[in-house]
Amino acid sequence: MTVLVLTCEEDVTADMVVVHLHASGVPVVRIDPADLTGGVALSGEYVHGAFRGHLSAGGRLVSMSGLRSIWVRRPGTPATRAPQPSEWLTEEASQALYGMLRGSGARWMNHPDAARRARHKPWQLRLAQRSGLPVPATLITTFPQAAREFSRRFPDLVVKPVSGAHPQDPPRAVPTSRVAPDTDFAAVAFGPTLLQRRIAKQADIRLTVVGDRMLAARMATAPDPDPAEVDVRFAVPLQPWHPTEVPPRIAAAVRTYMCDAELAYGAFDFAEDRDGTWWFLECNQSGQFGFVEADTGQPIAQTIAEWLSLPASPEQEGCVNGSDSKVT
Amino acid sequence: MQPFALNYARPAAQLELTAPYSYDSGLQLNVLADGRVAAHDLALLRELGTTTSTAGSKTHFDD
Repeated sequence: MTVLVLTCEEDVTADMVVVHLHASGVPVVRIDPADLTGGVALSGEYVHGAFRGHLSAGGRLVSMSGLRSIWVRRPGTPATRAPQPSEWLTEEASQALYGMLRGSGARWMNHPDAARRARHKPWQLRLAQRSGLPVPATLITTFPQAAREFSRRFPDLVVKPVSGAHPQDPPRAVPTSRVAPDTDFAAVAFGPTLLQRRIAKQADIRLTVVGDRMLAARMATAPDPDPAEVDVRFAVPLQPWHPTEVPPRIAAAVRTYMCDAELAYGAFDFAEDRDGTWWFLECNQSGQFGFVEADTGQPIAQTIAEWLSLPASPEQEGCVNGSDSKVT
Repeated sequence: MQPFALNYARPAAQLELTAPYSYDSGLQLNVLADGRVAAHDLALLRELGTTTSTAGSKTHFDD
């Protein structure tokens, strides 16, 4: 049984997992859907009540029924590197590939439906609340007056993109940024704006969840931090990440979140305040993990490889992650 | 007027570095010029920032 990895060629983070799969002798087929009709080919037939499908790439041929798991890492948009790409061809290729794979019976990390839903930050915030995770007071609005009133209730605010995406025309980054007390909120009317109470943090937490396993890393905030720098992704790292324990209540809530979100993989970001409380910021369903493993030595890639290597169609008992969670 | 959040935008950092590895379709891995598997060199990957949390932002929502 084969592990199918959907990602781009330059994805060295995926390499970290493929290395472990190779070492354990698990067959791997790695394709980028962008190469469909070029270096990647597919075929599937529905005859006499049965389905038989195949994928071919790089001289490898794999049967859809021979897939044990599918890892959706950083796949390109289907058929965008075809000899004559078009939006129509992309839609055709996407429907053909993902439509057949949905019928394969393989386990997904993560299923496309769950992944699409999990990208919505407003949905994440609500699910986190329902799961019992502490969530900073947050407002998403296009009403300037609502923003002004929120800033009066919570004078120390940050603003961040609702989608987490960055504008590309021209390429710009929109880090989580502190909002000055006397800010003019008139421009809130020109786009949904996410305002959130700033957590005076003593550390950033990245909790990587793989199936039923949790691997947490902590990076302490500088003793005298620049109050304007709130986004750890854009700050110069002064110290490495270190492994840390997950508080039991947080572990239980995260388990609920993962189960309800139907995710097999999630990278949670928390801000740890001076009381030690972990405040939920977001859960990236395909978040990077290489930088954490490089600093902490935590076996994240190996854990992903082990999850992908499990047999297809396990007993899921209503949750993709199982119920016997280990916390490390 | 532009949306409020874009008042806090900054120019995206451009990665000028050319990755010192290339994809080997036989191995299904990226390899360095000397044939070593790039993923085995975590120090190099850390230096290049190819596995960090902003690496995928240009084309992917999830970091």
